[in-house]
Amino acid sequence: MRLFLAALILMVGAISAEAQWLDRKTPGIPRTPDGKPNLTAPAPRGPNGKPDLAGVWDAENVVARPEPANLQSWVLDLSRQRQLEYYKGRPMYQCRPSGPEAERFGGWKRILQTPAAVAILNDDLTSRVIHTDGRELEANPAPNWMGYSVGRWDGDTLVVESAGFNDKTWVSRYGVSHTEALRMTERYRRRDFGHMQVEVTFTDPGAFAKPWGFTVDMTLAADTEMLEAVCEKSSDAWAGSLSDATSQGVTVPPEVLAGYVGVYTGIYGGNERTYEVTLADGKLIATIAGPNVEGGLGAAGLDDGAPRPLVPVSQTVFEGLGLGYQFIVGDKGVATALVVIHISGPYKYSRVK
Amino acid sequence: MRLWFAALALIVGTTPAAAQWLDRPWAGIPRTADGKPNLTAPAPRGPDGHLDLTGLWSGPVPEIRFDPVDAQPRVNDLIRQRQREYHKGRPLYNCLPSGPEADRSAGWKRILQTPAAIAILNEDLSYRVIHMDGRELEANPAPSWMGYSVGRWEGDTLIVESAGFNEKTWLSRYGQSHTEALRVTERYRRRDFGHLDVEVTFTDPRAYAKPWGFTAAMELNADTEMLESICERTSDEWQGGPVGADTAVTVAPEVLARYVGVYHGVYGGTKRVIEVTLSSGQLIAKITGAAAVDGGAMRPLIPQSETSFDGAGIVYHFVVGDNGVAIALDEIHISGPQRFPKQP
Repeated sequence: MRLFLAALILMVGAISAEAQWLDRKTPGIPRTPDGKPNLTAPAPRGPNGKPDLAGVWDAENVVARPEPANLQSWVLDLSRQRQLEYYKGRPMYQCRPSGPEAERFGGWKRILQTPAAVAILNDDLTSRVIHTDGRELEANPAPNWMGYSVGRWDGDTLVVESAGFNDKTWVSRYGVSHTEALRMTERYRRRDFGHMQVEVTFTDPGAFAKPWGFTVDMTLAADTEMLEAVCEKSSDAWAGSLSDATSQGVTVPPEVLAGYVGVYTGIYGGNERTYEVTLADGKLIATIAGPNVEGGLGAAGLDDGAPRPLVPVSQTVFEGLGLGYQFIVGDKGVATALVVIHISGPYKYSRVK
Repeated sequence: MRLWFAALALIVGTTPAAAQWLDRPWAGIPRTADGKPNLTAPAPRGPDGHLDLTGLWSGPVPEIRFDPVDAQPRVNDLIRQRQREYHKGRPLYNCLPSGPEADRSAGWKRILQTPAAIAILNEDLSYRVIHMDGRELEANPAPSWMGYSVGRWEGDTLIVESAGFNEKTWLSRYGQSHTEALRVTERYRRRDFGHLDVEVTFTDPRAYAKPWGFTAAMELNADTEMLESICERTSDEWQGGPVGADTAVTVAPEVLARYVGVYHGVYGGTKRVIEVTLSSGQLIAKITGAAAVDGGAMRPLIPQSETSFDGAGIVYHFVVGDNGVAIALDEIHISGPQRFPKQP
């Protein structure tokens, strides 16, 4: 079984459809005269006068690709090896908690805040707790998936220090490891009712030469509800790798490949995306036209931008690093569309040139 | 591969050893004259005058009030089939959320209460949210693992109504299934600082002629912290039956003698005592205490190595110190190992 099939198997019942119950008005939030949530109203405050971070938040996609030069060699080697394995071992793909992984700061969260603790609830049904009862960060807590976190207020910014992570989680989807000595610092600032920024820094001298991090903007998701996104099939069902596909030795005649060369346009993640398929040295190459798109070519590595050959596994189905590509052919074997198969399902791109 | 090995494969790095950081005293809780948490002090209240359920709670596995006579024949058939399969399909054993399963009301929970919502955080990192902002229970929410819950106060009792469960969860570890029409009603009553009683009723006319349920009695765990308990291996690896006799090894009687003793610990939130004795060259474990198993039945421990023993489906691992004398006994459950230190 190829990754292509595995990806299809992973399309499990977590498809979120538009539904009436998702459009209920959230009670007790500030609104503009036309009744819409007023996202620029002042941030709410708790009884202690501190900003209240509570709410359902939709965070932008996180781009957190550390400089390869900042990684200890074992971390870089492991990252490259994991790329070849399509990042199959990523905790998220194994139905395990993502812990401090940068990319998982994106997406939906619900925050609850009491004077003694803040809870962050993720849509994958994992949760973490930040103690705000004045306790110190423990020097040596038992390593676990979500870490041990304490928070304190620095003016209107909640500063969270975390330690006690096990070394099974990644700090980036690009397979970047960390040690149990990892410390994470987060600075949460809710600047108004509808907007919050989080600045995250990873410090781990055993893995990184210098601390590094990223910033993520979150927008309050008012008048809706967070849906569960539970992993039900682990990547153990994935089989094969790019080198396996190569060794299968499927040969497609150059005149067939030539029928696939062209420009394909479609929608991915709500945005228009254009694939250019070219032929070089008898191999098909996929690139994304325009600015570099994070994760656009599947298992993009730390050294993104390299051309990605498509390895044939049949006359119409190809494997690219981490993604399946299927050409839909019309008359005379000329492609009319390209279907790119992600973990989340297939995406169709119509041929425009 | 037998169940025994599968259980060993489940020993993952979650050993909850006694550690100093787990014993920090909490600030701002009522204490008795000797400094211990006063669990019978009055329950705290929030600014709105309602009881505040916030805290770290645990309770024993509840006894369900279930009569098979009230279940549809297909439900009873499924219960029997699941029993034959060692309940391998239980969501917990598949690293999936347990949803409304009665047995999962046991164990540790953290409750956070805010005016708009209450969150219940489980030790397996899953959680549920009870909306308190006055909204109505949705008639037709998208089915999910944890359901859609709204709560309201009736005097000092929090009444929670839930719907929108998917059909993948069980109502107890014995394999009672339910339909997507399941409704769950919970009545939470924090009767004093240290005690929370929860009355749970399952209503699902398509599966059960009459509603049924259970009562959970939870106690506050003060001056400590909740540990994660993460499922990392699914029951897909289980094979065969829980029999260790066919692979038994011989362990010298003088080695076995070093394991004899009384081990104390906590399982499922309640105290458990394991008394290990040696009789005719055979180690026997007797489990007593509030979390006793099978009324304190004797379990022969069949050696699988010098330190690992099969005890009728549960693996026991002796942790040895100097001179090979046991200092603790790990009882290895699907949910992970539980450590029982030996009493001096």
